[in-house]
Amino acid sequence: MIEYLSGIVLVLGSLFCLVAALGVIRMPDTLTRMHAVTKAGSLGAGLVVLAHALFHQHPGIFLRAVSIIALLLLTAPVAAHIIARASYRSNIPLSERTWVDELNKK
Amino acid sequence: MLTNDVFLAGAIQTAMALLLISMVLVLWRLSKGPTAADRVISMDLLSVLVVAFLVTLSFHTRQTSYLDVAIAYACIAFLGTIALARFIHRASRNKGFPPPGHAASKNITASESEPDLSEGESHD
Amino acid sequence: MPLFMLNLFFAAVFTLLLGSTSISVFLVGFVLGYGVLWVSSPLYPDTRYFTKLPKTLNLTVFFLKELAISSLRVSWDVITPRHINRPGIIGVPLTARTNLEIFLVANLVSLTPGTLSVDLSEDKKTLFVHVMFLEDIDKTRADIKNGLERRILEVMR
Repeated sequence: MIEYLSGIVLVLGSLFCLVAALGVIRMPDTLTRMHAVTKAGSLGAGLVVLAHALFHQHPGIFLRAVSIIALLLLTAPVAAHIIARASYRSNIPLSERTWVDELNKK
Repeated sequence: MLTNDVFLAGAIQTAMALLLISMVLVLWRLSKGPTAADRVISMDLLSVLVVAFLVTLSFHTRQTSYLDVAIAYACIAFLGTIALARFIHRASRNKGFPPPGHAASKNITASESEPDLSEGESHD
Repeated sequence: MPLFMLNLFFAAVFTLLLGSTSISVFLVGFVLGYGVLWVSSPLYPDTRYFTKLPKTLNLTVFFLKELAISSLRVSWDVITPRHINRPGIIGVPLTARTNLEIFLVANLVSLTPGTLSVDLSEDKKTLFVHVMFLEDIDKTRADIKNGLERRILEVMR
């Protein structure tokens, strides 16, 4: 039974990773690409790690899995914020669909 | 009749294939990416994909040590991303990138006139 | 926080006494230890452990739910051929004051529905957020303030 659950979570996680990669290709500008990377990427990798921990249910593996997930969830937004700030300040072009920019006004 | 182990092995192989396809897609963006920031986020996603792949590999080979490799790789990749982001930031501050010639660049002209790019964040 | 350590210690002792190494036994030990500490709570008059732990759990569940929803929404926009995104950058006035609070708000904003923190104003009073599906500026701003920031401040203060 646990094999089915773990296998489904594993494939789901790698599908989210694939979506993140497609998002990096298909999104119109840097900031929207970053949305796909931060959310779909960290959720996908988190699900893959969760599948591993679910199947083995061993304290050593569980602790490693928890630390990998914590590391991913801590570093992804920090990296995204720093890249977003740096790229915004180096005047990257925003997509034409952007209709509000309150940061620009001040 | 699909037994449990066969299902799990198939799932692991599917996951590995999907992750490899994602890596190829990301490499395409990495080589093409119009700005440096695009390349940095491709590198960031690539490192997340490598971590996921290492975990899947550890699942496949029943070797726990790949998990330790994944932890170390996640740490190093984070440092690399931060360093590259700082590099973009510094390069744009010192020399000033040429204004991008796209149509949408009219959105972003005023931020050029900010005199001082202070760093007030808590995690700087 | 010392009570949390004590609770963890109870759980570890419980696990070792039963001679097992499984995670579920540890969790059962944690819940039992929490019950024991709660029964003896008049002994620790000035602790806020018993109100903080449920709020932390509440924030965690809320956050995981939002992460799942946001990933599905972003995925939908990636997969379907026609783009439905309407991106925009809005400023959200912050109630959070200390660096740790601002750090948590900015990070959790980056991981929740279609929002990404881009920049912080120099006086640390406004967080500029890039929103992917921006329909109503005031509603999105109120959502961030009442949903995420209020919960974080409840845990932190």
